[in-house]
Amino acid sequence: MASTTGQVIRCKAAVSWEAGKPLVMEEVEVAPPQAMEVRIKVLFTSLCHTDVYFWEAKGQTPLFPRIFGHEASGIVESVGEGVKELQPGDHVLPVFTGECKECRHCKSEESNMCDLLRINTDRGVMLNDNRSRFSINGKPIYHFLGTSTFSEYTVVHVGCVAKINPAAPLDKVCVLSCGISTGLGATLNVAKPKPGQSVAIFGLGAVGLAAAEGARMSGASRIIGIDLNPNRFDEAKKFGVTEFVNPKDHSKPIQEVIAEMTDGGVDRSVECTGNINAMISAFECVHDGWGVAVLVGVPNKDDAFKTHPMNLLNERTLKGTFFGNFKPRTDIPGVVEKYMNKELELEKFITHELPFSEINKAFDYMLQGAGLRCIIHMGE
Amino acid sequence: MSGTAGLVIPCKAAVAWEAGKPLVMERVEVAPPQAMEVRMKVKYTSLCHTDLYFWEAKGQNPLFPRIFGHEAAGVVESVGEGVSDVAVGDHVLPVFTGECGECSHCQSEESNMCDLLRINTERGVMLSDGKSRFSIDGSPINHFLGTSTFSEYTVVHAGCLVKINPLAPMDKVCVLSCGISTGLGATLNVAKPKQGSSVAIFGLGAVGLAAAEGARIAGASRIIGVDLNPNRFEEAKKFGVNEFVNPKDHDRPVQQVIAEMTNGGVDRSVECTGNINAMVSAFECVHDGWGVAVLVGVPNKDAVFMTKPINLLNERTLKGTFFGNYKPRSDLPSVVDMYMNKKLEVDKFITHRVPFSDINKAFDLMVKGEGLRCIISMEE
Repeated sequence: MASTTGQVIRCKAAVSWEAGKPLVMEEVEVAPPQAMEVRIKVLFTSLCHTDVYFWEAKGQTPLFPRIFGHEASGIVESVGEGVKELQPGDHVLPVFTGECKECRHCKSEESNMCDLLRINTDRGVMLNDNRSRFSINGKPIYHFLGTSTFSEYTVVHVGCVAKINPAAPLDKVCVLSCGISTGLGATLNVAKPKPGQSVAIFGLGAVGLAAAEGARMSGASRIIGIDLNPNRFDEAKKFGVTEFVNPKDHSKPIQEVIAEMTDGGVDRSVECTGNINAMISAFECVHDGWGVAVLVGVPNKDDAFKTHPMNLLNERTLKGTFFGNFKPRTDIPGVVEKYMNKELELEKFITHELPFSEINKAFDYMLQGAGLRCIIHMGE
Repeated sequence: MSGTAGLVIPCKAAVAWEAGKPLVMERVEVAPPQAMEVRMKVKYTSLCHTDLYFWEAKGQNPLFPRIFGHEAAGVVESVGEGVSDVAVGDHVLPVFTGECGECSHCQSEESNMCDLLRINTERGVMLSDGKSRFSIDGSPINHFLGTSTFSEYTVVHAGCLVKINPLAPMDKVCVLSCGISTGLGATLNVAKPKQGSSVAIFGLGAVGLAAAEGARIAGASRIIGVDLNPNRFEEAKKFGVNEFVNPKDHDRPVQQVIAEMTNGGVDRSVECTGNINAMVSAFECVHDGWGVAVLVGVPNKDAVFMTKPINLLNERTLKGTFFGNYKPRSDLPSVVDMYMNKKLEVDKFITHRVPFSDINKAFDLMVKGEGLRCIISMEE
């Protein structure tokens, strides 16, 4: 690996040339890392809904050609000037949002929304010089979320790289760099249910199931899963969900149904769909006096959150979270440890595996709504 | 005092016969306390906006004749069957919301919204038998908020009575049984600003100034008062307010003005007007990542709280409070202690004083918007 230091690396990448069209395996050139950057050999990556959303690029400013991918694990190949925290050979997770450790957000105990490195979906270049590190025959290919992990090698800002336990199996913990941590943190860091409490989880996709997993780990006595798709209920039991509610089965608002089931409301709710009505229901279904609702799913730009002020004045709390409130560099290694000491179970999230050459199948699975996480093996 | 135990007490009360009309000093008969009730001699009482609101009875179900008043201090005259927490001669504050000690709210660490005794603005009788303890020539007079302190004697549920330090001057601490504790608790118990933080207070009436006082006690470095009435600014300085914003002075939304003054938003805000637009502004003016907004003021029935979901997803917290989240019996004694050990200043809230016979002057002052709290002295 040391022989490639400072040099351009030629490798395979799944390039998206056009919105919504299958990715094409190309040979790309990956420039060496500049100051405060790290070049990573990606070993495993997984597809997350956010990749699909920006790949479809419906009604956004499309930025193509682009290398998607932001859930991954790998090994540091080389580091740029000024990088002290990482060295070649370190096992890492690149993260779509970073931690400079100097701004007010990074210094705050609570926030993980780094002023410098927080998620930016519009940017397709590196901060240092506003250029891409990827090219094909001299033509730049855009980055995505500062990660671009659908490539055998990628270049990432050091603030967006979490250094993890080298004993952790990279084909499992790659999923912790986005969706699972988002859901898990929403529950563990923000909703914080006490042992024996009741928790409602809206949306039983990967993020919602991770939130349920967090509720299971917290010792919640009732984990009520809400979803419009009854097929999800069986799978959800593996994640601690004990009861199911399908809003389609009821004529009254779902928050009323939940309040009746729970003597006035659940202690905590976590909303993982991004559907604005579900978000309002998730808030209004928590118990007055002490209930806390946490919003995770991202809605459409033009949606408005509305509720009667009484619902706040009677001591309900409404919170939102981003990436489960985990600070990427500071906190993600600890999440890996929870997996290593068997507090957190990850295998059950992984329903499919594919070689890199077949990456488009992962998109198909997600579009069909099949499975939870598909691990893409880069070496194959 | 024990000479009257078990007997009807004839005494003076300021009775409201009609909505919005001056109270009339009448001779009323106050029946002895029944099971779980306490009869107390009121020493001092003060007028709170809520009395005014229900006395004006615009667009509500009017309940007249009625004895208003719910901010007061006095001495226990006699107790009904089953009452063990207070005894004859105890110094007490009656509170408009109670604490039975047994329901899930009272048992919860957080909530103060007792299932049995929480505020009920419509009830004009005692729970035990559905009847009033006040009468004039056999005709019942309605209670108000279970307190009815505009009377030399009143009967209150034992769960709504707080036993306080007998050394505390009752003509000062009477104001702690409603408005001041509401504002104070909103800051100390709910917003919980850290030392050196910034706090925005919307509405500089008694409740808002109490919230500011809480921010001062908590060591906030910037306490920004927001009010449409510039005359309030000078007075507010005594309560720790060190900056002022009048929304009328700006053409852009006040949350933008505040965000500009504070590098992105205040750490905490407390909303004490009940104006729905102020409530939304109070939420949107807190900093992303860590800001917390607490709603105190009660809006119109038809008000809708509306915000863009991104304001929650970027890690702002929205809370509401009732009576500053103080559990009346458990927590108010410590608020009195805060005054006794000079941490909390109460005297500056008291701007006027009238004898009971002049109680209508207190209404005039409040209707004109003059002063903060007017103490009505029952024995003069």
